[in-house]
Amino acid sequence: MDFRPLNDSERRQLISALRGNVESDRAILMDRRDTSFAGSADEVSDEEVISAIKSVPCHY
Amino acid sequence: MLQGLVASARQLFDDLRRSWLLPAMQEPAHSPASLCPAPLRQLVLTDGVGRTLFEQYADHRAGPRHTEETGWLLLGLREAKQAIALAALPAGLRAEAGVHHVRFNSTAQVVGSRIVRHIDRRLTVLGVVHTHPGSLRHPSEGDRRGDRAWVGQLRGREGVFGIGTADVPRGAEYWAQHPRANVQCLGDLRFSWYSLREGQAAYRPLPVTVTLGPDLAVPLHRAWPTLERHADRIERLARQQAGLQIDVLEDATSPGLMLTLPLAGEGPTLRIKLSGAEVGYFVDHSGELVSVDPGEARVDRGVYLLLAELATAR
Repeated sequence: MDFRPLNDSERRQLISALRGNVESDRAILMDRRDTSFAGSADEVSDEEVISAIKSVPCHY
Repeated sequence: MLQGLVASARQLFDDLRRSWLLPAMQEPAHSPASLCPAPLRQLVLTDGVGRTLFEQYADHRAGPRHTEETGWLLLGLREAKQAIALAALPAGLRAEAGVHHVRFNSTAQVVGSRIVRHIDRRLTVLGVVHTHPGSLRHPSEGDRRGDRAWVGQLRGREGVFGIGTADVPRGAEYWAQHPRANVQCLGDLRFSWYSLREGQAAYRPLPVTVTLGPDLAVPLHRAWPTLERHADRIERLARQQAGLQIDVLEDATSPGLMLTLPLAGEGPTLRIKLSGAEVGYFVDHSGELVSVDPGEARVDRGVYLLLAELATAR
């Protein structure tokens, strides 16, 4: 297997998911085929949301 | 013993990391959306969001700009296999729109998102809805070009896209019909739903279901003209002042916004009431409100003039 360290974003996501699970019983999402981490329904940063809104393309 | 515990905890964390992140290892390093949930299987609309879409679309068609396209930004929760839409932010009166295009007032939507996400920080951008003037119930080629580049920024690298058309020949007047899994109709209005995932060549129809729930943006609707009028300056303040809180004033006669900026330490709190073009400044000394007038209708400049005055008074 080709292991590699987590990058900053992944580390933040994983820690946030673990904290949400422990403190608030929030689900950690797991892919049923290979049990890989599939994210969590956790908090989203302002920057992520604002960046997406600011770049909504023109629609025709 | 402590060293043993630490070593065990580290081993457990390493095991978790290996098992959870295996597929991610095969991808390059990435944006927050890198740990992708599975492709969407359905969109869940709350009845509140569904009402907003149909009612505001009907209002738009009855208004003076009925020939122009309009639209909404959808906020909600992105779960493993479904997206749950919980808020619809309008394109805005200051959107750039014509018969064949619409570009949302994104600054107003950013401020709107700050207000709505104050309720739940898990809310994220799910996608957009826009209308077509004729009976093209599918996103256009122009839409596809823009959306393909955009969806990479969204959770799961997948977006939800709704197309509104007014082409139902004999629609049910009182209740919505669901002629296909990805289509809702009410009266002569129709919304057709699709998803587009990063790297996909084409949209695919996305089944939609409705459940009971709110449109968290409803309190904003009456205040939206005020929000749009001051959006640039509010957003500037929000970026510069981390403690700024934005609330909706649900006053029947003068809907608007209340900005609250607590000052450091035990100092007073600034409150700014916005209603249309009117801007009222107040200093809150432990519940005692004192009206002040910096003589400035531009809210960000007014705030900084007051902050300067409060600083010199100390």
